[in-house]
Amino acid sequence: MDNKYFVLNIGRQLGSGGHDIGKMLAEHFQIKFYDKELLDLAAQESGFDKHFFERDDEHRGFIKGFFYSINPFSSSGNPYENQLSSESLFKFQSEAIRKAASQSSCVFVGRCADYVLRDYPRCINIFISANMEDRVKRLSQKLNITEEEAEKRAVSGDEKRASYYNYYSAKTWGEAATYDLCINSSVLGLKETTEFIQNFVARKLDL
Amino acid sequence: MVKKKSTAELGTENVGKLLLQYAVPAIIAMTASSLYNMVDSIFIGQGVGAMAISGLAVTFPLMNLSAAFGSMVGVGASTLMSVKLGQHDFKTAQNILGNIVTLNLLLGTLFGLITLIFLDPILYFFGASDTTIPYARDYMEIILLGNVITHSYLGLNSALRSAGHPQGAMYATILTVIINTILDPIFIYGFGWGIRGAAYATILAQALALVWQFYIFSDKKEQLHFTRGIYKLKKKIVVDTIAIGLSPFLMNSCACLVVILINKGLGEHGGDLAIGAYGIVNRILFLFIMIVIGLNQGMQPIAGYNYGAQKMDRVLQTLRYTIYGATIITTCGFLVGELMPRLCARAFTTDEQLIDMASHGMRIIVVCYPIIGFQMATTNFFQSIGHAGKSIFLSLTRQLLFLVPLLIILPHFFGLDGIWYAMPASDLIASIVTAVMLYIQMKKFKLNSIKNGQ
Repeated sequence: MDNKYFVLNIGRQLGSGGHDIGKMLAEHFQIKFYDKELLDLAAQESGFDKHFFERDDEHRGFIKGFFYSINPFSSSGNPYENQLSSESLFKFQSEAIRKAASQSSCVFVGRCADYVLRDYPRCINIFISANMEDRVKRLSQKLNITEEEAEKRAVSGDEKRASYYNYYSAKTWGEAATYDLCINSSVLGLKETTEFIQNFVARKLDL
Repeated sequence: MVKKKSTAELGTENVGKLLLQYAVPAIIAMTASSLYNMVDSIFIGQGVGAMAISGLAVTFPLMNLSAAFGSMVGVGASTLMSVKLGQHDFKTAQNILGNIVTLNLLLGTLFGLITLIFLDPILYFFGASDTTIPYARDYMEIILLGNVITHSYLGLNSALRSAGHPQGAMYATILTVIINTILDPIFIYGFGWGIRGAAYATILAQALALVWQFYIFSDKKEQLHFTRGIYKLKKKIVVDTIAIGLSPFLMNSCACLVVILINKGLGEHGGDLAIGAYGIVNRILFLFIMIVIGLNQGMQPIAGYNYGAQKMDRVLQTLRYTIYGATIITTCGFLVGELMPRLCARAFTTDEQLIDMASHGMRIIVVCYPIIGFQMATTNFFQSIGHAGKSIFLSLTRQLLFLVPLLIILPHFFGLDGIWYAMPASDLIASIVTAVMLYIQMKKFKLNSIKNGQ
């Protein structure tokens, strides 16, 4: 791994503005930005159709979470024997993340990138949260839904992301000890939060 | 059971060749474990007697229950370990290995002790009578005292498989079969220990395999090895293990439930010998079922990869070949069951009445065998293409959803034969449901390919 590149990994609550902050950071440092784009990379890496990755993207559904992706009557218990198991798909996605990180500096949003790149030397892991009112407002505008609906999605979105992250990584989603910096974007607003993070990143990496 | 190969090969190499290459190791492993049970039963039947066979059959549900707890830790933790190894996270994987040892020690001992205390009521509940319970008790006392060894052995075997030693796991399985086969006659005939001898042989064989597993995992050069500080239970590992292991646990518990129903029905309508007859038939036919399961495991990576790459012609070819193979295997089971049931039963016992009952039951049970190869292969096909829910549903139709009501209803009309009829009837209905679901899935595939073509 080449030390001249660096990576910013952003974990975020649904509707906290993590995506926008990541994008602004990428523009500021003039590095690549991957959020949903990662799924294209993963599809390329595996040679599989993209919709398999979309189906499993950042959540473990109830049935899958419970029965996971294996029928115990007909399996040996190694999820990698089936290339389409959620675990195999996650592995392809992780390879794609590692490859992208070795080719240039970049910002990754979600998908356990911080865990996948835990041995990467120049890595900063950030978690963005926000007050519920702000998240609901942002979600209802972005998705064109009512505020009640938005609140429901925000809560269930957190649960899905947590169960996904906690299953694949060895850490706990949203817990301060998992990250280098946890910040509530409601306090300073998106723009100033981004500037604050820029400062933090520049200091840590001597940019 | 599969060595690391370049995955691209799965998308280009001849499907028949791939299937053979992936299925054969799995089939060997499956055959070994079913031979193990068969050998045990043969020695007990020939060496101890007909009632001992019935006593042994009464213990099946309890063995299933023990396996349910064992697989909860075994499958749960080894899956977790696979995921971490897939991420090159050796530190966490090692920690999981240590937790597997501790969890098995705890759970294995607890399960053994608790069931030992309530052994008699449990055995009566599982279908034992005053005639069969001495055998069942003799056997289970030893097995339960050694339960912690059994759990540890099975748990570490799953761990071996996940840690990239599928051959190691296979050798351990074969080792137990060989040792058991050697010790059984010595203990039963030589020392005159009766049914207890078979139990001692089982536990001793597993203990030796366990020593060998410890030897492998103690090697410091291994990526995963025993070391200090990994044994303390970690909440996250335990919770995740149980969450993943819950579904195999429930499935095995269902199997336990069904065998209880069968044993109770057989005992009520046909007496102790009928239970023994089922024990014999079960041991013989299990061999064919296990071979099909091995074949199905070989199909998974091939069908899964090609479905992911949307090479539908190759996906369907894999399914076709697997169905052909499975049908050939189960048809062999059908032929054996119809043409030489007495010969098979005679291997287990010299009691003419028991032979009559077993061969009568076997003739009925195998009636639908030629079609269940298709049912099992298709069930597994859904699993291969990522539809685990459908796959689990189809497995349950054959082994629980249709079987349980049939087991309860049919004996009212046909007596003892009702129990035997319930099994092929359930096979038949499940196969029809499977065929319908496969038909619907095929229509969806066609629709998709037309859409993509335009």
